[in-house]
This record gives sequence, structure tokens and C-alpha cells, in this order.
Amino acid sequence: MIKPKAFVLYGDGINCDAETVWALNLAGFVPSRVHTSELLETPRKLLTAQLLALPGGFSFGDEIASGRVLAIKLKEKLKDVLFDYIERGSVVLGICNGFQVLVQLGLLPSSKASAPRLVTLRHNSSAKFINRWVELETSPFNNSFFFEGLTTIHLPIRHGEGRLALAADSSPAQCELVKRRAVLRYAEDVNGSFDKIAALTNEKGNVLGLMPHPEAFVRWSQHPAWTLSKYPTRSEKAGLKVTVSPAFGVPHGLSILMNAAKAMR
Amino acid sequence: MSRSTQPSEAKLQGSAGRKTQVLSLAVVPKNGSEREGLFFTFPLYWMEADLPPFNSLADFVQDSEMGNALQEILADPLLEELWCTTQREKSAWVAAWRQEGYVWFAERQHLPGVTDNLGRTVEEALSLKGFSARIASGTGFLFKEGYFQEGRQPSSLAEQGKYVLYHPLTDKFLPHDLSADEGCYLDFPSVHLGQPEPPQTIALDLDDDGLIALSQTRLLALTLAEMKAIAGHFQSETTKALRHSRSLPAWPTDVELEIIAQTWSEHCKHKIFSACISHKDFSNGKEELTEIKSLYKTYIQAPTFELMNRRGDLLSVFEDNSGVVRWNNEWAVCFKVETHNSPSALEPYGGALTGILGVNRDVLGTGLGARPIFNTDVFCFAYPSPDLSDHPKLLPPRTILNGVRRGVEDGGNKSGIPTVNGAIYFHPGYRAKPLVFCGTGGLLPTTVHKKSGFKKHTMIGDTIVMVGGRVGKDGIHGATFSSEALHEGSPVSAVQIGDPFTQKRVLDFIVEARDRGLLTGITDNGAGGLSSSVGEMAQITNGATLELDNIPLKYPGLADYEIVISESQERMTISTRSFAELKRLAERYSVEATAVGTFHSKGYFEVTRQGKPVALLDLAFLHKGVPTLALESQWLPPQTADTSPPPLSSPNLKDTLLSLLACPNISSREAVIRQYDHEVQGASVIKPLMGPLQQAPCDAAVFRPLFEEDAGLVVSNGLCPELSAFDTYLMAICATDEAVRNAVAVGADPSTITLLDNFCWSDPVATPANPEGKYKLAQLVRACQGLAAAVKAYGTPLISGKDSMKNDFADGTLRLSIPPTLLVSAMGRIAQSDAAVSMDFKSCGDLIYILAAGSLGVAGSQWSVIQGFSCPILPGLDLEHSAKLYVRLHEVIERSWVKSCHDLSEGGLAVALAESVIGSGLGADISMSSVRLAAAACAPSTDKCQNDMRMRDDYALFGEGPARLLITVQPELKQEWESLWSGFSLTLLGQVVQSDTLSFKEDNKKVHFQASLAELTAAWKTPLPFD
Repeated sequence: MIKPKAFVLYGDGINCDAETVWALNLAGFVPSRVHTSELLETPRKLLTAQLLALPGGFSFGDEIASGRVLAIKLKEKLKDVLFDYIERGSVVLGICNGFQVLVQLGLLPSSKASAPRLVTLRHNSSAKFINRWVELETSPFNNSFFFEGLTTIHLPIRHGEGRLALAADSSPAQCELVKRRAVLRYAEDVNGSFDKIAALTNEKGNVLGLMPHPEAFVRWSQHPAWTLSKYPTRSEKAGLKVTVSPAFGVPHGLSILMNAAKAMR
Repeated sequence: MSRSTQPSEAKLQGSAGRKTQVLSLAVVPKNGSEREGLFFTFPLYWMEADLPPFNSLADFVQDSEMGNALQEILADPLLEELWCTTQREKSAWVAAWRQEGYVWFAERQHLPGVTDNLGRTVEEALSLKGFSARIASGTGFLFKEGYFQEGRQPSSLAEQGKYVLYHPLTDKFLPHDLSADEGCYLDFPSVHLGQPEPPQTIALDLDDDGLIALSQTRLLALTLAEMKAIAGHFQSETTKALRHSRSLPAWPTDVELEIIAQTWSEHCKHKIFSACISHKDFSNGKEELTEIKSLYKTYIQAPTFELMNRRGDLLSVFEDNSGVVRWNNEWAVCFKVETHNSPSALEPYGGALTGILGVNRDVLGTGLGARPIFNTDVFCFAYPSPDLSDHPKLLPPRTILNGVRRGVEDGGNKSGIPTVNGAIYFHPGYRAKPLVFCGTGGLLPTTVHKKSGFKKHTMIGDTIVMVGGRVGKDGIHGATFSSEALHEGSPVSAVQIGDPFTQKRVLDFIVEARDRGLLTGITDNGAGGLSSSVGEMAQITNGATLELDNIPLKYPGLADYEIVISESQERMTISTRSFAELKRLAERYSVEATAVGTFHSKGYFEVTRQGKPVALLDLAFLHKGVPTLALESQWLPPQTADTSPPPLSSPNLKDTLLSLLACPNISSREAVIRQYDHEVQGASVIKPLMGPLQQAPCDAAVFRPLFEEDAGLVVSNGLCPELSAFDTYLMAICATDEAVRNAVAVGADPSTITLLDNFCWSDPVATPANPEGKYKLAQLVRACQGLAAAVKAYGTPLISGKDSMKNDFADGTLRLSIPPTLLVSAMGRIAQSDAAVSMDFKSCGDLIYILAAGSLGVAGSQWSVIQGFSCPILPGLDLEHSAKLYVRLHEVIERSWVKSCHDLSEGGLAVALAESVIGSGLGADISMSSVRLAAAACAPSTDKCQNDMRMRDDYALFGEGPARLLITVQPELKQEWESLWSGFSLTLLGQVVQSDTLSFKEDNKKVHFQASLAELTAAWKTPLPFD
């Protein structure tokens, strides 16, 4: 079986490249890091990989607005190739800051060149950066292979600008479209996001942007309650329930990435 | 408000051709709804650019390519719009704002020369779109009438907004009355310096008063003895002959004097720790004299060198920018903790941010370059209170707290380095100066292209390369500059703001350059700038020449000595044999790399301008010529009165427990922790907050430095400044024990632990203005002795450290000093990270034990602090005994017998139990008779103490002492577990239960006192005074 190839962007303040490479590797990809400058010098190199990951981080220091300057940098030299890449059905995965870049590029919730920009990601309603683990629900209506077989999952969020927002004059149809492309929602309101949306996909389902970090849950001991999972006799209490112990399943972030690898084989 | 309110008729000057002009840009919400409230802020920019001709500003923004680029860069297309006007014509804006009911407007701008990360990013974004402009960023404020009720006066907006809306050391703030549009708005903040002074010769043939006056006026901070040593050196025949042969004047140039002053500063040479001290101990009623030749060599280095025989993992200690320990055959880990107290006292955000980025560079500059993998930060603050001293030069306490917190957030998060662990400690003594300890650990290959990665391999002929940021006036003479010395147009030299983004690019570049074998050596530019980095690396080859001509500057007009000692941030100094390749790689990473000289073996550190020397200093003199201080210390133990309250009754026990949980030294740090990314890099195993409710406060961090390996790195801290008032010897032992105990509690193997020491002291040099100097020095001596004793007993070597000796505030009338503070930071290893233990209770029925090796005290306990009494009962520790306890505990943890383990620290046993309940959501039934038994077993040896401990429930519950741990074990293991601990104090206290209550019961099952999970949690979650 040939493993699908993945590029993981790094440089310019991207932070999560190393763990994203590691997670994709565990999930069955052959990943390699590619620096923004290298990709922009040879944009067509992109077409040699089946997946492009834009990892989390603070590209350009998150100055002006998260993801905006990296989006401008990519747009100038990469946008045509990127449209081509998406049109061919290759996969683009934007995590956290990568999601913000995809939104700034106007690739979500529609990656048609003609589609108007519908959403933006703004400061959390608390106006604070948040690092905590959250419970997430997948959408029963989604067309995204990423979440196949998953319903309720746990992942960490680590962002200051994760509140999905629409223009004030958005039409009901536009709001519906955004909701339809939402593939993951927070179980509770954590950042004021529109319709508690945590992730968006495009019409084909091959572009995914999500605020939570799947690459940060590829081993059980990354879960904040993992020390409990060693002792299955514990009674049920409120909070993040560790209903699946290492013996029973794959960590949720790894599941998402393995689904992607499976879809690409 | 729509874009039509722009002054569309305003014609720009010189529209016939391109002309440099300044435009103001504002980014405002499209929809007024985001502007509810009495006060509204928005991004404001100043742009200086050569603009093509255009008819109106509306045309420029809407129709010109550059205008469109600015819109794309600055404004969110869905929610925001961009306004643009010429610098002085804001009348259209004013009209629109008045229409909306705003009465005052204020603009905030960075002072000239202050790092402007946002402005620099906009410039880079514009250049990506093909435009060139200079951008300054700022903030606009709009105020409605209602804002000025509640006692605020529009006329004193600038005064009242100080430290809230702006910081006078970094920002310009100008309010405008919108009803009188006076048109005097802020202009582009350019730095104007004029022509730099050429190097001057400074004659040192002065009398004593003259030398002292010279040191003071030039802010050299050198003593008379040091000034005389310098004068003597320049009068020696060999120096004279060398200088004559190179056409240099006989007396030093200002460049040379500044280099010597930097190199000999307390900060760089640790003169107090190297001093000869006559230590007089009067504790036995008569004088006992000990002569100590260097505290550093005697108590820091010597114990570590003794341990090196049995610790083969110490690769590089005390030599490099951080201590290096072997991790496995391919990798080593390094660790360093720095302090950034004075800068944080002046400007807390910049102080903390540059503190973090600075210690990151220490790690990056270790060996051939280590990649930072964790941050750990400890802050000591005065809790905001009306009782604290007030002084115009002391920032408001909340300003300090919030500024530091925000600086650490930006420093860690934007660099992609997890803040895995930390502490916040409050004591009113930190009103004198906040302590900001910034720690970073890194990972480096043991071998790089067949050379050891933890050493430097700089060779004769290697090129000196400066990498990263440019040189400005930043940090010249650091904190000695007062704010009054700053004037319009002068760059702020005392205060620095870091640039984590530029440094992240430098970091990525360095790691790549290292792996390609392009580096032969590397060090950071911190205190002392190039003077220090090149001066220190020059010792490897025995010489270096630094050429000033090509050094990139932030702005023209710097004198030569300023370039050499500037502390501008985000810079590394590299030695290389392949500059051309290095430069190409740097360009790919958008990093500036400049060749600035050569390493040689001529025995001196030379600085040249156009090929001619402006400084030529003998390396041996520069690094070894500083005279040794001779100091005297006097130790007389302080007497402590006993003002203990009568024993608390059971309702008071509950109230006291809740008060302790709510007190600032114990309450939850969640609000701060959540704002720090503690998981980036994907390595975490034990996070700061664990458990199903993510609120179990863990004793130490565990994470896996290498993805492919199970082994975990453990990081912890220990700090007990409350005990310093009694005895710093005990304080140092307890701080060391706390660091080790925390590490062992989560699973670290005690035989792998290494330590860092960080001393922050009040000035220990006696002078008429500092009459307590001898006692403070005695406190320092005793702390060093305590640390050395603990290091030897635990077998935990010190691998690096730092001291900061002037943590006082003095203005002639008011004198404030911090409590002597020793932070001990620990790093250890857990072979299988899946064996790590968190502190929350796990299952109903589990047995709760207290395991102890130390004796219990009340002096310095948080209980005595919040109740405001003093008690002479001090805790104590038999270090040999506790060392054995930790070894055995680790063996049991490896067997997975320990289900939860929590160290007993502030608040004692009762608080540790409460935290374990809060962390798990489960309850506990505790037997009071067992609690009393456990306390009696750990009572100090005097009869009175033994009696008190047995009789007083409050002492037993809230007393504090080292080497005590709360452990749960499953009932099936009871016998085997208990049989392990003969010879140690192990007491079964009770059981984990399903009910949501922590109950303390008598033997007849009667409840002595109890508190519900909800009550405990609510008290513990009392907010700290952070925003």
C-alpha cells in the first residue's frame, strides 16, 4: 500500500509544524515540512503531495489579524496553484492559525474562486487567549471524510481569535450555507462562535479548517484526564468523561487524520 | 458612520508628482453595534510614503492600487472599513464622531524608537504587495460624556489614563476635545539623533573623587577600586607600547571604558558571589569567624563537582549560556532560568517579554544551538492593597501584574514554546521590585557533523556574524536611565519591547543552519550586547576584531560605544567558516545576517571603524582584571515572638480552610494558566491543570521531549521566601526540597534530577545608606550553605544559575527591600512517561496516606500570614532521611502503586486534601485521630512542640513543613504498601469517598468539621487580581 504524501508548511511564525508532521506520520502519511519561501519559489511542487497542512501557530506574530499576512503572502504567488490543487480533489487542512489563513484566503466555506467571502474569525468573546480541552460534536449531515465514525470527541483549543463571525448584513441563505458547512461544533459556547461552530469545510469536503488541534491528541497521555483512564473502576462524574481508555480506541485527533489518510489511499 | 464622511475634498499637497507625505489611517467597524459603551478603541496608523498623485483621499483608498492594498491588509472586509486622512486634517473624522455623541478623542502612539511589531508587520505586508512605506501603529480612543462621570475629568485624561490607557515610558498619548478641533495631532514618530559623536579619549589621571564622579556621570556603575584598576592597566608599559603601536591614545576611549564597565558589571561578573567574605556567626553567643573565598566556588560549584563522579550525564555545567545534561545517545537537554526584575518594574509588559525572549536566546545560544522546548515562569508580586507604599516611581501593583502576565503570554505563545509550569507568589516585600523569573529548556543534538553539539568550536579565522534584529539605542545603560531623561525625539533606551516573531524566524533559521553544519559557535546578545557576546566568544580563540562599519542600525546617529554595548533584542552572534552559504539560508528565512568581524588569536578584543581601532583591550585584563571584593557579614538569628492565637474550634477550622483556599498564595491559577499555551509542540503528559474537570493543580510538568520515545522530562520549582525572615539556611533547604519533592511526586527519578539556583536579594553590601548590608550578606551566606547541604544530600547537582543582588527601591527617604528569595528549579527524568502521576484522587475506596520525613512548623505558614500572627515553631528536615524517602517513593511509582500523589506545601495537610478533592470531584473521609497522630509523629523535637502538635488540630491541619506528601493507594495493596515504609512516618488518614464532601471525623464517626466540594471549589476559585 502506497502511503499518501503530505506537505506541512512552516516558517514565518508557524509553530505546530513538528507535531503536525509527527501526527500525520502516525496517521499513515509520508509527511515533510516545506518552508513558505520554498513553496512560493516553486508553487507547482505542491501538486506532488495529496495533502497540504497549514499548522497552528502565530504566523507574522498574529499582528493586524490572525492569519491575514500569511494569507496575503500565499495569495500573491500560490493562489492559482491552490485553486487548481483543490479542484483536483487534493486535501487542504488548516488547523487553528491555518484555519484563520484559509478563511483569510476566502477558501471556506466555499473554495470556488467566484464565491464571495462569508465568514471571518475574530477575537474570542472573552477577549482572551484560551488553552483548554473541549468537547466537540460532529455534524450528522456533513460530507467530510475526516469525521467518519466520530460523534463526540475531545480536543484542545489554543486560540485568541477563534470566534467565527459573519457580516452583519448576511442573508439567511448565507447563514444557512455556513451552518451546512460546519462539520464540528463546541458542545458548550467557548468563544462566542456563530452557531458554536468549531470547523468548516468546503463544498467538496476536501478543504477543512478547524480551531481545535487534532495533532495534539494522537496519544492518550495527551488527554487531561488520561491518568484516570488507567483506573476504569472510577464512577461517573461531571467533566470530560474518559469513556474510552487506551485499550478501546484511537485518540480522537489521530482518528481524524487516519480518516484523511484512508480517504486518500 | 460611512466612508463618505472622509474629507473627500481635501487635496493633497504636491499632487503633481510623487511626494513623501504622512497619512493617518483608522480601522473602524462597519456596524456601529461594536461601538456600544462609553469608551471605544480602534487601530490607528501613521504612514509615511512616497505617494503617486491622486485627486482625493477617497480616490486614493478606493481606486489606487496602494489604497486597495492598505484596505486588504488593515481591514476585515466583512466587518471593518478603512478611513484615511492627511496628518493634520482630521476634521471630517471629528465631525462624524461628534455626530455619534463622542466628546473626546485620544491618540496613542509608540514613542520614537520603541519596537513597533504591528507597524513592522504592516510594512512587510505592504512590501509583499509591492509597496514601500514606513508605518507606525497606535490606538485611537473615543469617549462619550458618560465616561467622565464617576470622577473622571476630561482635562486630566492624560494623567488619569496613565498606566491604564498608556504607559508614559513607551507611549505618547494625546487627548483632544472634539468640541474644539484644534488640529494638533500626532505626527509620524521618527527618531532624530543628529551626527554621532566620534570616540573620545577619557583621561583617568584623576583623584579618587574624580574617578567616582566619572563612574557616576557616565553611568558606568564601577567602584573606586575598579576605576583604579582600570587606570593602572592603562598606565602599564605593555599597554602603553601596544596602544602606541596602533596609534591609539594612552588613556582609554569611551568605547573601551564602556566595554570594561559592561564586562565588569555585577550582572556579568557576579562580583558579590565571587567576593572574599568574612562571615561572623554570633548565634552561639560568641563570634565564630569563617573566611569564604567566593560563595560561588564554595557552595555552588564545589558540591556539583563532587557529584560529577557519579553523574555521568552532566555534559556542560556553569560554562555555557545554560546547563547541559545528556538525555540519550543522540540528544541532550539544557535549562536556564534568568531574572528580569528591574526592566519589569519599569515597564512590566516589555520587561517580561524581553525576559522570556532573552532566556530563549540563552538556550538557542547553548553549545551549537539548542531548540527551546519549554518555558517555566515564576513571578513574585506584591498583592494590590491600599496598605502598600505609594510612590510616583513605583507602578501601580495591578499594572505590574497584568503587564507581566501579558508579556509572558506573548513571549511564550508567539514563539511556539509551551509554558509548562510556573508559580505566582505574593508578599508585600515585592513592592520594592517584582521578581520575574523566566526559565527555558532546550533540546540539542549531542553530535553535530562529528563535533560535540554541546560545545563551541570557534576557530581562528572564523567570521563573526550578527543575526536577527538591528542595533538601536535600546537598553544602553539599561535601567539607570530615569524617565525624566527622555525627551521628544529621543529613542527610549531604558525600555525595550521584544519582537517574538522576528526571534521565531531567527530560531527556525539557527536550527537549520546548525543541522547543515554552518555554525562553529553561537551565543546570544543579551546584557552588554556585542561587547559581551563577541568579548566572551573571543576567549575561545584568544582574540577578535569587531568591525563597526557594516553593523545594521535601526536609525542613523549612534555613537560607536552605543553600537557596541546596545542591548537591542532578537540578536545572536555566530561564528562560521561558511558565511556565504549562511547568508543565503538566512535570506530564505527572512533573517538579516551580517558579517561583522573575525576571530583571531592576538590576545585582544579589538573594535575598528574604517580599519582603525577605536578599542583594543587585552582579553586577560578584560575578563580577569576585575578586583575581588572584600565583604563582611554578621549573623545573629532574629528573635520571634509567639503571638499564636488560642486553638481554633471546629467551625473556625472550616472557615480557616476556606480562607486559605481563597488566599492569593494558594487559590487557583487557572485564569492565568489558560492564557498560556502549555501544550504546543505536542509533548505534554502532565499539564498544569489535569483531571476530568481540568482543575487539578499538578505539582510539576511532565512532557516527552522526543515524539518517538516514552521517556518524560519533569520540570518543577521550589520557593519559600516566607521562611527567609527566620533563617535563610532553612529557607534554602526547603526551597530545594520543594523542587525535588514536586518532581518526585509526578514520577521523576530522583537520581536524574538536576537543579538551577536563582538568588534574588536585597543589596548585601553594607554602606551608610544600607546599614543592614552585613545581615543581608549573612543571610546570603546561610542560604548558600543550606543550598549546598541539600544539593549534596539529594545528589542533585546545580547546572546553572543566576543572581540578582540589588532588589531594592530607594529614593533617599523611602527604602523598600524584597524578602531574600531563592528559586530552585528542577529538571528530572521519568523513564516511562505513562507511569506519571497526577494529584487528583482517582477512585472511591482508595486509601489516603500522608508520608513524611520532615518536621512540621507553623512559622512562615500561610495560616500565620493570613491570620497575621507569629510563631517560633520552625519546620525542619533530616536531608539524609528525605533523600531515602524520595528514592523509595520513586520505586513504588514505577510499580504503578501510587494512584495520586500531591506535595504538601502552602496551607499544609488540609489544603492538600482539599485540592485533591477539588481536582477529582470526589470526596474524602478523614480521621481526626490519624491527623493528630501524623502531626505528633512529625513534631519538632522540643517537648512543647510535641505537645502542641498533638493537642492542636489547627497546627496539625495548617502547619507546614518539607518532605511531606499525600498519597492514595488502592485498598488491595494496603499491607504490601505499608510494609515498605518502616522507618518512615506513614499514616493512614482515611478514604476517598463518592460523596461530594471533605469530612474530618472523630473515631465515633461524629463529624469534627466538613466542607462540600462546591464550597471548597468556590473558595479556591477566588479570582486573582489579573484582568
